[in-house]
Amino acid sequence: MNHPLEITNLVKKFGGLTATDNLSFVVEKGKSVGLIGPNGAGKTTIFAQVMGEHRQTSGSIKVYGKEITKLSTSARVRHGVSRTYQIPRPFGNMNILENIRVGLMPDNIWQMITGNPDLDREEELALSVGFTPGDLMKTPSELSMGDLRKLEMARTMATDPSIMLLDEVFAGLTVSEIVQIADLIQKMRKDGMTFLIVSHDLKALEPMVDSAIAINYGAMIAHGTLDEVLANEDVRASYLGGTG
Amino acid sequence: MDLRWHHFALWAAFIGGMLALPQFVSSGTLRTIIFANYLAIFAISWDILSGRTGYISFGHPFLIGIGAYTTAILTKRFDIAVEYAIPSAVLMTMVGGLILFLPALRIKGSYFALVTLAFMELIYQLVQVIRPDLTGGTRGMSGIPTLTLGARDGFYLSFSLMAAIALSMWLLMRTRLGTALSAIGMNEESVRGSGLSTTRLKLFAFLTGAFVAGLGGAFYVHYLGSIAPRALFDINFLFTILVAALIGGLSTVIGPMLGAFFLTFLLEYLRPYLPGAERYFIYGGIALLLYMYEPKGILHLFSRGLDRWRERVSS
Amino acid sequence: MAQIIIQGLLLSGLYALIAMGFTLIFSVGRVLNLAYGSYLMIGGYVYFYLTQLLGVPKIVGILMATVAGCVVGLLIYRLLVKQLKGDHVAIEISTLILAVVLQAGIVLLFGDSSKILLPIVPGVIHVGGATVTFSILAATIISWVILIGIYIFIRKTHTGRAMQAVSMDAKGAAISGIDSDRINMITWGISGTLGAVAGVFFASYTQLSPSMWVAPLIIAIAVVIVGGIGSIIGTLVVAHIIGFMEILTTAILAPEMRGVFTMLLIIGVLVIRPRGLFGREEL
Repeated sequence: MNHPLEITNLVKKFGGLTATDNLSFVVEKGKSVGLIGPNGAGKTTIFAQVMGEHRQTSGSIKVYGKEITKLSTSARVRHGVSRTYQIPRPFGNMNILENIRVGLMPDNIWQMITGNPDLDREEELALSVGFTPGDLMKTPSELSMGDLRKLEMARTMATDPSIMLLDEVFAGLTVSEIVQIADLIQKMRKDGMTFLIVSHDLKALEPMVDSAIAINYGAMIAHGTLDEVLANEDVRASYLGGTG
Repeated sequence: MDLRWHHFALWAAFIGGMLALPQFVSSGTLRTIIFANYLAIFAISWDILSGRTGYISFGHPFLIGIGAYTTAILTKRFDIAVEYAIPSAVLMTMVGGLILFLPALRIKGSYFALVTLAFMELIYQLVQVIRPDLTGGTRGMSGIPTLTLGARDGFYLSFSLMAAIALSMWLLMRTRLGTALSAIGMNEESVRGSGLSTTRLKLFAFLTGAFVAGLGGAFYVHYLGSIAPRALFDINFLFTILVAALIGGLSTVIGPMLGAFFLTFLLEYLRPYLPGAERYFIYGGIALLLYMYEPKGILHLFSRGLDRWRERVSS
Repeated sequence: MAQIIIQGLLLSGLYALIAMGFTLIFSVGRVLNLAYGSYLMIGGYVYFYLTQLLGVPKIVGILMATVAGCVVGLLIYRLLVKQLKGDHVAIEISTLILAVVLQAGIVLLFGDSSKILLPIVPGVIHVGGATVTFSILAATIISWVILIGIYIFIRKTHTGRAMQAVSMDAKGAAISGIDSDRINMITWGISGTLGAVAGVFFASYTQLSPSMWVAPLIIAIAVVIVGGIGSIIGTLVVAHIIGFMEILTTAILAPEMRGVFTMLLIIGVLVIRPRGLFGREEL
């Protein structure tokens, strides 16, 4: 069985510190998995390793059965994994359409030069994440945090991912923005997208996920439905700042 | 590529107007414009390499110098015809661009800028000691074959070269490639995260920048007829290129062109009052103020003024 | 041999002094101040103007040079660096432009030609076949005194410790109540002062000219880059490596080659080990 994401015995050491401790899990197609744990548990480090921003010390990461640990970040994106960041990273001097354009480009300089940007698709993506036609020419400095997250979702979508990793999608958003982003994720789930979502806001996360994985000190301490995981003693202890 | 008829009309008007210029102005002014043309070429090439990608190079004279020295040595020492010497010079400059690219794989920001500065100082010292029989050592070379006679022909050649480079770079940078290169300057991680190989894009920017720098350097030395290491691998020369691109407007092709003309004429108008290097006092002062308070450059200043004017007209 | 060692020690002492002010700023603010060479130029010219054109006593000349350096340092921080709010590349570009402007200013005031500085301390001494002028000897001794003074200042005084704190963790220092703006001001002032002193001695070692700021800037960059962020010991060690390399190249190869290894060192270290050979994140 090939899955959109399959992590096996992943280990990451920073000097003496073990940031990822022999972690194995699978995200099945069309499912949405929550990745939870207290601050510093190593959630973002896992994302960074999946994307190739950090090299793992050992272990394997597969996308649909294809080992990606030796690939560059951009090659991984073309293999169908894409992520968003806790602090959005837009292109500051470009408008929304141009930001999305970068995500839509082929990784081939000749095609970049000869082909024209797909303006319809750019607009379609922008509207699909909830921008209005009047927003399209705005630059990131004119956008709210919620809008920036939408923009990042749109650019990520533009790379045509088979799995999306969302890092703290609800952080820094107003209540109404949380609702918008949640609706967007639900819509994409219905369309069959696979997700791995990190969030501190467990309440907002709850309806977004089919199952959850709890980690602490880089190691998995529980998995199952979110309710099961939250009922787990070790998980509760870790959130209360205990030694797990 | 969002091209409109008025873009081409403007380009045609600009090129046509400039080509008619020798009928109206003195040969002294033409000589000034020749320098502006070459400076524009250098500034455009700096902008492709540094202005867009954000990999600020303080070693641009390193590239220009490779082009200039290669063709000077080939034509003067080996009697090779210019039509072979210049392409070889451009090729050598692209090799130089490749050398400059290697550190960009590992470092960026301030550190990259310093490495490129070190490259320029390194070649300045090497040129003087390694094979001075070829390079002319500290004193450089003179009597290099020139391509044109007189200000008029020099103007036509330099302007045609500049216009051809500017127009082709303008067209190239209006494609998605230009967008991708500018995106690297804004956030390289996000470009990688969008599935694009930034290494390949940067390599393309460095090679294209080097290509233009080599072309400009080679033609420039065949205009001057002489070459001296201190005039070429010099912080003041770097400063002129950098300032032209910066105050014109980064990440554009028109900006560096505008900046080059603005600065060359500013220097020329200051000449009666301040004949020597002290002109840089005013020139640099203006550049510093513009850079600090209008970092997007005079092109941006113009377009903002134009927008305001349009608003006033329409309301 | 003795000659090489003596010349190497003398030159390296001067280089350590040149690099010190640059290191301080780089450590505390992480800023590469490319106008640093201008402090040396300004110090040298102020000293020249006062002592050789106005006939003021030398010690007063040196003092006024340091005052000028300090003022210029503070002005650059206030008017330029602070306005650009931590945009490192913008600071680098604008300080480079400023350096060229200041160079042109010197041309405007003193002309293009280079000037010879009279020896600060007249006389020579012969040591083991080497001729050593008292000026360069004095320069080396004074730079050692200053270096030890700075070391003690940073380790022992309250302000020095605050500088250390800012250099390690600017945010943390701010949380623990350190006014990082004040610390930065002090650092820029000290840096300008040190640069100006170094300039007086550097000018007496070579000569005064409007483009004299480039060489010491490159030396300072090399020392800081190779020595790593703000390590004082690293600064000393690398100043000696570079000083001795220059003396050796001059003696064995050719005087024109003296800078080549410095450049190769900068490029090599930056590409292979960007944190520097002694890269500790503290003073």
